Amino acid sequence: MNTNAKNYRQKIINLLITVVISMLVGAVLIGVLGNNPWQAYGALFQGAFVGKLNFGTTLANFAPLLLTAYAFIIPADASFFNCGVEGELYLGAITAAFVGYNFKGLPGPLHIVLCFLCAMIVGALWSLIPAVLKVRWNVNEVCVTILMNYVAMYIASYLVNGPMSAKTGTAQTPAVADNTQLAKFLVPSQANTGIFIAIAVTIFLYWMMNHSTVGYEIRSVGQNPHFSEYIGISPVKSMVNSMLISGAIGGMTGCIFVLGVYGYFLDNFSMGIAFNGMLAALIVGNDYKLTPFLAFFIAALQSGAQGMERNTGVPKSIVDVIISIFIIFATMEALFSFLSKKKKNSTAKSQSNTHHKEAES
Amino acid sequence: MNFGKIFDYTLIYSTIRYSTPILFAALAATITQQADILNIGTEGIMLISAFVSVCVSYYSGSWFLAILAAMVIGVLMAMIMAVANLKCKADICAIGMAINMFALAVTKFGIKQFLGTTGTFTDPKIVGVPKIHIPAFDNIPFLNKTFNNWSFMEVFGIVLVFILYHILYRTVWGLRLRSVGRFPMAAETAGINVTKMKYEVMIISGIIGGLAGAHLSLGYTQMFTENMTNGRGFMGVAAMYFGGMNPVVAWIGCLLFGFTDTVGNRLQGYGWPSQFVLMLPYIITILVVSISLWRHTVSEKKLKSSVIPAKKVKKGGMV
Repeated sequence: MNTNAKNYRQKIINLLITVVISMLVGAVLIGVLGNNPWQAYGALFQGAFVGKLNFGTTLANFAPLLLTAYAFIIPADASFFNCGVEGELYLGAITAAFVGYNFKGLPGPLHIVLCFLCAMIVGALWSLIPAVLKVRWNVNEVCVTILMNYVAMYIASYLVNGPMSAKTGTAQTPAVADNTQLAKFLVPSQANTGIFIAIAVTIFLYWMMNHSTVGYEIRSVGQNPHFSEYIGISPVKSMVNSMLISGAIGGMTGCIFVLGVYGYFLDNFSMGIAFNGMLAALIVGNDYKLTPFLAFFIAALQSGAQGMERNTGVPKSIVDVIISIFIIFATMEALFSFLSKKKKNSTAKSQSNTHHKEAES
Repeated sequence: MNFGKIFDYTLIYSTIRYSTPILFAALAATITQQADILNIGTEGIMLISAFVSVCVSYYSGSWFLAILAAMVIGVLMAMIMAVANLKCKADICAIGMAINMFALAVTKFGIKQFLGTTGTFTDPKIVGVPKIHIPAFDNIPFLNKTFNNWSFMEVFGIVLVFILYHILYRTVWGLRLRSVGRFPMAAETAGINVTKMKYEVMIISGIIGGLAGAHLSLGYTQMFTENMTNGRGFMGVAAMYFGGMNPVVAWIGCLLFGFTDTVGNRLQGYGWPSQFVLMLPYIITILVVSISLWRHTVSEKKLKSSVIPAKKVKKGGMV
């Protein structure tokens, strides 16, 4: 237990060092462009936290990042590298929009629940496809999920341009019923009560993964499928379960966008939100406790980027560059092993272990 | 609907044209997979080298320099992946996706910074890869439409398939490489430096990935668009799975994808919604890979059933 805590502390220290390094690289980049890095970061901070609009935008960015990050981590715990959250999100969103503007007579809360349920079911069914392909025939999940994202995007795009179009010129569906829209706060921004739903769901997922049988089975399969099978946990079932959960979360995120942010489905609205969630999860190495902090950090960076571009002229895409440098460093687990000699020994050991494992398989 | 117009002889060249970018990606993935490295970063390598080659071609006016630069940047990205994976224990999927994200972000940033636009950059000053024009074919419509005006890279792509096949299956280096992928411990016992082998493979993969990007932005089109690879790198990985790490079979897979892409584009003229046409290649790719791996598991099961009692096979079938 003690060594665990020590490793965890080491992990957080590594993470902080990575943050500093990537911010430094970003500063150098900004300097090369002929701007003052200090000023640019100041504007970034202001753009993320100062003022109702800015802080609201940060919060509005935070909710989908948090949910999509969890949608990535849970299958990753069963060693399923799910890049398909983006597709789940689109299909969930279009389903929520369909339910939202069709059954107008229903009482508000019931209608909202119905929207969420349908979006979650569609998302889960969609994510069932790669899961089944993986467990039946060992089809590589990264490839299939990425390609399926495009399919999902075009399905949604077809629906919103064709049968479900509001016929207003822009590609969007009719607005959902008024009583289904989630309440907004910090008004000029897009922040809405969806964020509380996101936080509640996150807490539930954290509990589920750490203190329930389903969660235990998923984690156990990820750590050692052979052992799990030996003690009577079906790896197939756990992997499929984890993907169903992921799909449901993805669909729910889409639903929050439709009911909370826009009030209708907008073609191509996401632009890689789920991938940012995946980044947040990858950076912390799929850690449940640290993910919310990272999701918040990335959300702040992204909303601050707009303020930075407005006030100092530094292009906001530089923030994406900084985040991607951040993640390249963060995935290199052994990068900081030189910090302590003891750790170096242990990495050498585990390296030889992995060699053995490779050899066995 | 006029089938004669969809399935005529011009389909041959169109298929080659659509499949070549995927082919390069597939080859880049094939050679690393032979050393048991799943090259998810192909997409990112392609994207960033497409951007670099457009930049170099635009500013220097030389397509040759542009291809060289694309290969250099391809190797650089591949080396980041290799060092991260082999030295720093990064998960290959994680670092691959990180490279993809990095490429997307850097090109988005670069298109504004170096080319001064957002979204799409196209300019008459971009010098493309020359096409091979054979004047003798000009007067024969079939030969003219089928074999004339191929891009230099399209020819090279096909040549590369057979070069790689030869290297992998007919040389000592290839044999060693395949043994590294099959059973690294045995390879190490036999005196092969596994890590060095993996680095070499990643360098080659970077070169091919760079060519893929250069072809995409200088041969296939002459422009750069944000995220212009559009999943082609992943289609390449899919083709690699289809081919079971064999470059020739992977090439056939690429041709299949290119064929559906072409037919889909022609169907658009007959009132198909454009979204269906656009999603067609992705669906076909997923289907083809799934079917080929399904066949693979079935044949493997048959092989097993001759040595293991039937009861066990049934259990294996459930899993």
